[in-house]
Amino acid sequence: MKPHLSPLGRGLLACAAILLVAGIADAALHDVLAQNPFGAPKQASQPEAGGLIGWLLAKQSEFYRQMSSTIRAAKSDGSALWTLLFISFAYGIFHAAGPGHGKAVIASYLVANRETARRGIALSFASALMQSLAAILIVGISAWILNATAKTMCKAEGAIEIASYALIALFGLRLVWVKGRTLLRALQVAQPVPALAGVPHDHHDHHGHHHHYHGHDPARTHHHHGHDHVHDEHCGHSHGPTPSELAGPGGWRRGFAAILTVGIRPCSGAILVLVFALAQGLFWAGIAATFLMGLGTAITVAVIAVIAVSAKDVAGRLSAGRDGGGALLMRGIELGAATLVLLFGAGLLFGYIAAERTTCF
Amino acid sequence: MRVLLGWLLAVGLSLAAGAASAHPHVWITATSELLYAEDGSITGVRHAWTFDDMFSAYAVQGLESKTKGAYTREELGPLAQTNVESLKEYAYFTFAKADGKKERFNDPVDYYLDYKDTVLTLHFTLPLKNPVKSRQLVLEVFDRSFFIDFQMAKDNPVKLVGAPAGCQMKLDRPSDGSATAQKLNEQTFLDGPNANFGMMFANKITVECP
Repeated sequence: MKPHLSPLGRGLLACAAILLVAGIADAALHDVLAQNPFGAPKQASQPEAGGLIGWLLAKQSEFYRQMSSTIRAAKSDGSALWTLLFISFAYGIFHAAGPGHGKAVIASYLVANRETARRGIALSFASALMQSLAAILIVGISAWILNATAKTMCKAEGAIEIASYALIALFGLRLVWVKGRTLLRALQVAQPVPALAGVPHDHHDHHGHHHHYHGHDPARTHHHHGHDHVHDEHCGHSHGPTPSELAGPGGWRRGFAAILTVGIRPCSGAILVLVFALAQGLFWAGIAATFLMGLGTAITVAVIAVIAVSAKDVAGRLSAGRDGGGALLMRGIELGAATLVLLFGAGLLFGYIAAERTTCF
Repeated sequence: MRVLLGWLLAVGLSLAAGAASAHPHVWITATSELLYAEDGSITGVRHAWTFDDMFSAYAVQGLESKTKGAYTREELGPLAQTNVESLKEYAYFTFAKADGKKERFNDPVDYYLDYKDTVLTLHFTLPLKNPVKSRQLVLEVFDRSFFIDFQMAKDNPVKLVGAPAGCQMKLDRPSDGSATAQKLNEQTFLDGPNANFGMMFANKITVECP
């Protein structure tokens, strides 16, 4: 029966459409950014690594490898600093579009928790900022203050790495627990009353954990300014959302779990840049570069977060009003996303996924 | 069905988030020597790996040295020791096949680091567990997870030391637009998470002896 299959079909269609749009946007971005920003002759042979990921990898390597020479140049030439900041920013953007770094965690978390795009953006910026601070703290304390060796620093990094993976797994476990129960409840409610088709938007969601609201409920705004913890130290460049925007349903504190989970683990690239800058006697340049990397990262992660949230909203809208199946579908998607966080964390923790390796040799 | 769709979406998202690829933070320029015994069998490989300056600065951070900014072989001794010990876990990023059969290496010998022009070079010899006489030897140097980007040096990347006359060496570089590199597209990344992902970036040395 066609109507029966329809939510699934539509959902799939929506996903396909979104992926297509994302692909086209990426291609456009490619063409725009393919021009070398420094006016230097374009590389004669662009290695046909093919595909978006290959190109991202190539670009990010290109920017990263320019960093060391630019930091060196900044020692004598102040204008090189601007180049450094630009490279760092660009690196951050490309770097985040690649692997790991909790993008998957943030996107899945947003989908699982019925978050708004706005909140997704805020979370992306906050976690990227925390990541930058983590890198600066690690290098600042261990290398600058204690003059520890790479070996010691590496051990510290390794410990943080394991802690962060464990946090992701725990976070995923909790999401799965909450979402699994919600799905079960939705199943119980939906099964015996198929006649409810006429009641629009009644998803029978009694789960009151965080006072979630449905994606297609535009009347809800998420501005409870009850939690005004301004922990934010915007580096002056980040014109992202204000911390009050984190205070959606459940408040700032709930978002903090996601921020901590993702942000506690610094990027190896930032650590290397910081140590290199320190060795050149330009630690502050390294710090500036790290913040710019974080800003670039935040922008990419925010875009991914918005895509994820929109994809889910579209799926929600398309499946809404169907005989209870729509609600079930949404709960299913949420549980799927929650499971993904758990699998991702467990995979990282037990070494099935190598998102990033700590530089320990 | 719905759960299935959830999964599809989840997988789509994770792909969009690029959860399954890696990227280098360390660049190594490598030269390798294949060592032959008098009877024409291969006894091992001698590598010299030069790290990029960023990683080099990181690696010497906090090390004591008599002269600031210069490190002697002795001062770098403990670091070299750590390096080769850590490399064991990654099989020294060196994979050998003699006539199609996998060969194993013993622990490295004669290892040391030197520091010149702000970069570190790690020298070490990997003896083959069983020296082997083969018509064809394939040696690949790469990081499976692509955290380290290996490039063979531009000049004299591979040397055959004491090889029998008539041995032919061929080097396939990962990014010279050869067939391997062109196969690298999204599909490759989708074939299992990280499945031999670094393979695409392998430097392949093939030696054919009569």
